[in-house]
Amino acid sequence: MKISQRRKRGLVAVAVAASVIAGPVIASMPAQAATELTFWSWRTEDKAFYEDQMAIFKEKTGITVKFTPYVNTEYNAILSTALTAGSGPDVMQIRPYGGMSTLSDAGNFLALTTKDVPALAKMSPGTLAGVQGYTVKKQFGLPYATSVIGVMYNPDLLKQAGVRALPSTYESFVRVLAQIKSKGIIPLGNATGNAPSLEQMWAAVGPTFYGGTPFFNDVVKGTRTFTDKNFVASLQAVKDLVPYMPANPAGVDYNTARGLFANEKAAFYIGGNYEISYFRSLNPSLNVAWMPAPAAAPGAKRYVTTWADGGFGINAKTKAKPEAIKLLNFLASKEFNQAAADQLGWIPTAPYIKITDPAISKMQKSLASQGTPFLTVVGFRFGTPTSSVIMQPGFQKLTAGTTTAAELAKDVQAAVSSWYAPQKGKS
Amino acid sequence: MKLSGIKREQRKFRWLLLSPGLLIIIIFTSIPALTTLSYAFFEWKGFVRGSWAGFENFNRLFSFPFRDQFLMAFRHNTLVFIAIMVLQTSFGLLIAYALFNLTRGQRFFRTVTFLPVIFSLVIVGYMWQILLDPYYGPINLIVNELGQPTWARAWLGDTATALPTLVFINLWRWVGFPAIIFLAGLNAISTDYIEAARIDGASEGKIFRKILFPLLAPSMTIITVLTFIGAFEWFDLPYILGGSNGSPAGATDTLALMFYRLSFGSVDSGANEVGVGSALGVIIFTVVGVGAAVGTKLLRRREVEM
Repeated sequence: MKISQRRKRGLVAVAVAASVIAGPVIASMPAQAATELTFWSWRTEDKAFYEDQMAIFKEKTGITVKFTPYVNTEYNAILSTALTAGSGPDVMQIRPYGGMSTLSDAGNFLALTTKDVPALAKMSPGTLAGVQGYTVKKQFGLPYATSVIGVMYNPDLLKQAGVRALPSTYESFVRVLAQIKSKGIIPLGNATGNAPSLEQMWAAVGPTFYGGTPFFNDVVKGTRTFTDKNFVASLQAVKDLVPYMPANPAGVDYNTARGLFANEKAAFYIGGNYEISYFRSLNPSLNVAWMPAPAAAPGAKRYVTTWADGGFGINAKTKAKPEAIKLLNFLASKEFNQAAADQLGWIPTAPYIKITDPAISKMQKSLASQGTPFLTVVGFRFGTPTSSVIMQPGFQKLTAGTTTAAELAKDVQAAVSSWYAPQKGKS
Repeated sequence: MKLSGIKREQRKFRWLLLSPGLLIIIIFTSIPALTTLSYAFFEWKGFVRGSWAGFENFNRLFSFPFRDQFLMAFRHNTLVFIAIMVLQTSFGLLIAYALFNLTRGQRFFRTVTFLPVIFSLVIVGYMWQILLDPYYGPINLIVNELGQPTWARAWLGDTATALPTLVFINLWRWVGFPAIIFLAGLNAISTDYIEAARIDGASEGKIFRKILFPLLAPSMTIITVLTFIGAFEWFDLPYILGGSNGSPAGATDTLALMFYRLSFGSVDSGANEVGVGSALGVIIFTVVGVGAAVGTKLLRRREVEM
């Protein structure tokens, strides 16, 4: 078939004209109407809760919110790419401390003021610091909850195994685990298949070994290092719990491990308050209680690790700033935070929330006397490689027996000393 | 020499038809590849480009802790290439030869062999995750039923078995591809050679070794080069089954996963490392480009003219 010269030229002209006109038109189209907001999060498990809350928000304001959660492990990559490309959501969940400092320092988040979000004025400086920039010390997010890590247990299974008193030292804890195992019950639901949860397990049992807050202050100042024998002992404490985990622990993922505790197959689970909503979603009648991690030795102080779980921030490039601020104020409201405390097991940063869950209430009360900052999250996530990046796969190697606690501690020190000035040149 | 009017017209029309494809390649492949090359020589703060850094990103890639990760990932990619070449290509060749000799039902078995190739990789990954589950997976249940409980293990969770298990899943999914390429190669060989050899009294084994296999060299070149490129850019299956950290403990880490992790960050990495990631990208590009070019040249030499 022969196409005439004229027709061919016509076709090319039409194609060029269409692309010239359509390009700017498409580019200038708003991402969404002003009364519709997009809201991203890493909490896939809380989707139903947020959708219910966004329906309440719509009733109050007429603003529609599209809540989209992404898989926790990929959230940073997805959000970074979207924000850098100039798109991204209007409102989003922000990682605490150094988790997203490069994004905040690059001006991707709207700096918040107490005029925009009055609830910020009621928060303590320590809480606010969790979602501030690193080089640019501005408030880029509304801190929403405090996380607490400790030891959860099933009182019914402990009774069934003949455990009469809760263990208060690490030695008695291991003895109780062995007793439970001998009764055919899985002593500890935790496994080694998920690297981040191993770091959290260490954050629960470790501080009493390395000396909690005084050690935290010393490594931050640079007067002590991660190769300290007490820090090495804290790593070893995680490995020593492996015999009490489910069989083939390396093949057990995070949700399976949590499911073992939720479905009353495992007596203990070491984790955070944020696990409780997942447990209850699987088994609403689960009897769950909580205790601080046992002391390293008789007389040693017991610690409860805590940190700001994250914040809610606004995209600096949002085309719906007033609506996004309205949403942030709703997320700071008593109504929303009470619902989050009741349904998600949050320990909200807002001071006026009543915690009804006895286990979570106990966690919150323990903070005043036993709270200690999550060493690797609060202190060492502002540079790369972070201590967590080394520790998480390191724990998998340690629990598999392919490295030692001393070698892992040495690697953590090497990573931190490569970028953290007070630790430079120290080994 | 002047081109005739028709030829000039044909040439113009050829370029017109080629231009959409060329534009897509230039915009989405060539420009990103070249810019990545340049990114490797700058300082980066998140996704914001800083000042000229020379070879600093390459130095950092070969320093603690990236050096160990790089060497481990490189070793995994190399092992995967060898394993796929030995196992997948051999099985593919065997299947192709079996299909070639089938007188009835060749079409049906050809479809069956190729079917896993068209399955969604995500579905394949999750299906194998369920099959290999250490508690509820049928594979461990079968092993236990056979009276060998010590053989049951956390296939994807054990650092010793995770990578071989991924190679096996890859083989299950992709074996149909070399099989079809080899089958096409076998079908292209004139039956005159085979019949002449049979008249001369050659055995089936000898026909395969002396006639079919040497004449399959062009197919072998394609398979080897594609396997090499695929193995050194292996990302999808390890990502689905081991996450971006190459879990457990980096046992399934590959160069492409490391590139992704460095360039885009992870939950616990704090900031991303676009510069070091780009330096790694340059190395992957060089390894794959040089390897594929040298491989093609060497393999083409041993191809036999029919």
